[in-house]
Order: sequence, then structure tokens, then C-alpha cells
Amino acid sequence: MSVAWVGSQPVSLMDAIQNAAKLLASSRCPVFTLDTDVHGTRSAIALAERLGGAYDHGLGETLANEVSLFTNHGGMFTTPGEARRRSSLIVLVGEIPASHHEMLESWAASRPDLGDRNKRLWFHASGSGTVSADTSKLVRKLKAVSLGGDGLSLEGALAVLRAELHGRHVASPLVNVAQFRQALNKSQFPVFVFSGTSGEAAGLVMLQGLIADLNKNGRASSVFLPADDDAWGTALTSLWMTGFPPRTGFSNSLPSYDPVRWDVQRMIREKEADLHVWMSTRGDETPPARGRIALISLSKNETPTAGAAVTISVGKAGVDHDGVTYSSRVGTFRAVAASAPSQLPSISSIVQQLAEALPGRRALPC
Amino acid sequence: MKALTFSLLAEPEERLDLSGLTPASLARLTEAQIARLRVGTSRNPALVGDIFKLTGKDAESLVFDGSSSRLDRIGAGLNGGAIRVTGDVGSQAGRKMSGGSLFVEGNVGHHAGSGMAGGRLEIKGNSGDNLGGPLSGEITGMEGGILIVRGKAGDYAGDRLRRGTVAILKGCGDYAGYRMIAGTIMVTGRVGAMPGYLMKRGSLLFDRPPEKLSPTFVACGEPDIAFPGLFDRFLINEKILDKPLLGQKPGRYGGDNAVSGKGEILFRRGRQMS
Repeated sequence: MSVAWVGSQPVSLMDAIQNAAKLLASSRCPVFTLDTDVHGTRSAIALAERLGGAYDHGLGETLANEVSLFTNHGGMFTTPGEARRRSSLIVLVGEIPASHHEMLESWAASRPDLGDRNKRLWFHASGSGTVSADTSKLVRKLKAVSLGGDGLSLEGALAVLRAELHGRHVASPLVNVAQFRQALNKSQFPVFVFSGTSGEAAGLVMLQGLIADLNKNGRASSVFLPADDDAWGTALTSLWMTGFPPRTGFSNSLPSYDPVRWDVQRMIREKEADLHVWMSTRGDETPPARGRIALISLSKNETPTAGAAVTISVGKAGVDHDGVTYSSRVGTFRAVAASAPSQLPSISSIVQQLAEALPGRRALPC
Repeated sequence: MKALTFSLLAEPEERLDLSGLTPASLARLTEAQIARLRVGTSRNPALVGDIFKLTGKDAESLVFDGSSSRLDRIGAGLNGGAIRVTGDVGSQAGRKMSGGSLFVEGNVGHHAGSGMAGGRLEIKGNSGDNLGGPLSGEITGMEGGILIVRGKAGDYAGDRLRRGTVAILKGCGDYAGYRMIAGTIMVTGRVGAMPGYLMKRGSLLFDRPPEKLSPTFVACGEPDIAFPGLFDRFLINEKILDKPLLGQKPGRYGGDNAVSGKGEILFRRGRQMS
């Protein structure tokens, strides 16, 4: 079985590496789309730095929205484990991605064993008619009490909740606020659970303000559940390597973060970039068919990527080879062993070979 | 002496950082030295001479003749003199300017006037999102000066405004005056959802009642105060408007009560929403 192609022609891996290196060396503005494990991400960022390129995640738009809460405001966060063990009052905020429902249901089946140890109470702050059927089902299963109001968006509901907890006037009250206030008084550690897809960034900033208010007289925190664990892992890896999340570029050899300027899809669409390096181990993913610039595809596919100058088939961490990925359940990185080891190379090893094939033949630092 | 003019030769292949082309930084440079300044941001960055044809001598008054959304950070850090652009520009026009004037005859991208502390930035066309607002990781927005958009502004206009005046003449997107700390934003035309969300103090002035207000703003009647008259006079003197914005007894909302509730939205009463 072939793992490398130039155009649609099968070639040896070495030929594909040489062809890709030629494209990289001659590119004026290479851009990288990442969707891989920690080692692959580290190698790709190191290569982007060497080439003066820019990088983004495959789910760049969603990730940029999640990151904006951290870059534009900040907040108070705790881990899922801490919330499960210490909190007797959980407030779900807006839409919660389905991938986290099982974890929340497991919390409902347990009682906090540290702190106040009371039976756990659940509330759900939401805008009218803005949550999916899956989240509505979860809310019913958890018997979460609704905190919302007629015609109120999530942003409006959170603003009203914050104002009402201050005892200030509002034009449109929320339902069940008295019940929530009572629960709040009893709880030693209320926790708000939200995702980057829960609502607009402004609403999440309001939520963090509410949590800061509660911390003036007690303890409260929030659990952030990313829309996609791999994407959030890429964000954290990027942070420790460059100080910035994805949508970072290496103009003048220094990293700079700008979620608009280094939006890789925009750069391709507007023809600012002249070479796109697409790295995806998700399986059967194809790069968006926008813009007509040269494409190098490192992806977990058995066939050449349509329109790619060079395609190299790669394995996925945790399936084809061992690796390290982010897990929102534990709130940090974890090692994953290969479940079906294969001969497919890792993205990290291919990127290393690409770096060594570039003029200067220097290995990457990671 | 004729203004130092940068005539765009063709659409640049890469985004350009023009923050180095201000009257103060060009004052003692010869034409040859200016032509060798680096403005490109890619692996093989372009120089001024690759992108522009230079004419004129007066570096106190600059003209950029041309139009491209890839001309970023034009007039950034401007502290005196004048810059005029005859077409569109990219992001962060007039960022951190503290004096002088920047006049853009076309449209501007996002973060125009970001963190400006003084001077006058006037945009004849439309502006992108985050007008006057801070960049990612920064905690203060505009801190002074006058920022005028004669067209429409995007979302989050005046984010974290601390001081100064923002005037938008053909409406704006959602969250105008978001996280405002003080200062004044006036808008004629349609205003998007949630103006003043998370504002602590400051004034939002509209020529019509706001349509989609956060429920944490409450109506405060028709205050009989001198401020509307004074501000109308300021707007006319500065040639921003040619007739009063608020009229005699404007309506008033107080908020955002989710925060300190010391901000206000003043609006002209009786105008029909379009």
C-alpha cells in the first residue's frame, strides 16, 4: 500500500519529502493547518517558525472564539475533578457539547465528598430556545432548574442574573432566581460549567464577572469544557511553545498573535498565502476547497488528497502510534497507547524529515 | 512644499505594516532611505520602494495615494502632522495615535483607532469590528482623541473606551460601547443588539431609541440636563454633524446594572426606527 503521492502518482516516501521540501523552501508565505497530537503540533510549529509561516487549527473559528475569553478577559477556572468532589451546586451555561454529557451524568450519580457534602443541585442558565435537543435532554436528565426568561438571550439572562444577585433593577426578571439564591447561600463552592460554544464571548465575559462577584464573599469557580479536546490541546501546546494560541504567525521571526490576520482560511481565500500545509489525523478529513494555492497534505487517508501537490498518509496518536493528547475529563494532557499499531508514520516524524530536507539540513528542536 | 506622497504601484502580494511611515519617523530621512524601509511582513519582505512611488518633500504632511485592504497599521503611533489616504486601508489604522490627524477617504479594517490617546482619526467610509478597542491581551481601549466614522461601524465599537469621543454616522453592529469605562460614543442610524453591554460609566448617544437593549438597562425618564445641548454644540463645532443630535429632552436609560450601573444611554425621542 502506498503512503505517499506526488499529485495522484504513488511515489516513495523520500521522493514525496523532497518534493514537499522544495515547495516549502520556495514559498513566500506558507501557512499550516494543524489537527494532530502534541508531538505533531510541536514539530509543525517549529517548522512554521523556521519558514516564517503562520499556523491555525482545523477548527480555527471555534477555537478562536473559545480562546477569546482567555485573551480578551480572563476568568476563574477549576478542574472537572475538583468540581465533582467539592461542588454541591452546578450551573450549566447554555449549550454543552454532547461529548461532555457522559461526564456530567457521572457527576450527577455521585455526591461531593469534600467540602459541604450536600446533595448536588443543578441549574441551567440559557437563552430562550437556543439549546440543542441533546442539551435539553441532558438538562431534563439532570433535573436542572431553568434560569432564563421570556425572549431573553443567554447574554441577557446572565446579565439579569448578575444584576439580580446584586439586588439591582432589571427590565425583565429571570425565573427561579429566588430558588437559585437559596441554593447559592447553602453551597460552599458553586461551579458554573460552560463551553466556548455556550454563547457569545460577551456573555461568557459576563459569566466570569458574576463568578468574580461571588468570590467577594465566598468561593465559586467555573469549568471550561472545550468544543473539541484535540483543538484545545493544540491551543495549550501552542501557548507553551510561543506564548500565543493558534492564529500565530512568525513575521520577522518573532511570533505574533492576531486572530484575524493569521486566520489561515482567510489568508488562503484572499490569496495572501502561497502554500498550504494541511495536517489532519482525524481521518477522512479534506482541506476546505477554497483558494487555488499549492497544497501539501499530511493526512490519515488511504488515497491522495484532491488538488494536493504532495500527499503523505500519516497515523493517528492513540490508534496507529502512541502519543499525548488533551483530555477535558482530567483537565490536562494524558498519554495514549496505540490501539491498532500500524506502519503509518507520525506527523512529527514526517515534519522532522521535511526540516532535514530543507536547505541548511537542520533538525528541528522538537 | 508638496506633501510627501506614497503612490501605490500595484496591489501588494503580502500584508504591509506601515506603522513606520509617520511624519515623526520620516522627518530626517532622505528619499533613498525611505525607499529602503521594510514594510512587508512575509518571508521576503517588501521595501517601501517596491510598493510605492515617492513624490513630494514635506514629511509633516503625508499622502497615501491608492487603495488596498492590505495596508495595515497606517498612521499607527502618529503623534503630530497629518496623513491622508485616498482609498481603503487594512487593520489597525491610527492605532495608539496620540496627536495629529489621519483622514481615510475609503473603508478601514478592524481595530481602527485601537488604543488611541489623542488626535483626530476620520474615516469617510465604513470601519470593521472593534473600532477603538484593545487588541487581544490588552486591557485598555481608546484613551482620548476624536474618532469619526462617516459610514457604518462593525461590532464591538468602542470596546473598553476610557476617554475621548467616537462618532459613527451610519449605524453600527452589535455590542457598541461594550465594556466601556468612560467617554462618549454617538451613533446616528441603526444600532445593533446589546449596546452598552457591561458598560461601567460613560455615555452612549443615539438619534433614535435603541431596539435591542440588555434588560439590565432601565428607563430613567427625560432628564432636564445641560449636557445634550453642550454636546450638540461640540458635534457641530467639530463639523461632525450639522444639526443637533439629541434635541431638548432626550430619553435616558441607566445601566449596565449587571456592573456598576453608572453608564447612560441618551436618545432622541420620537424618531421612527427605520
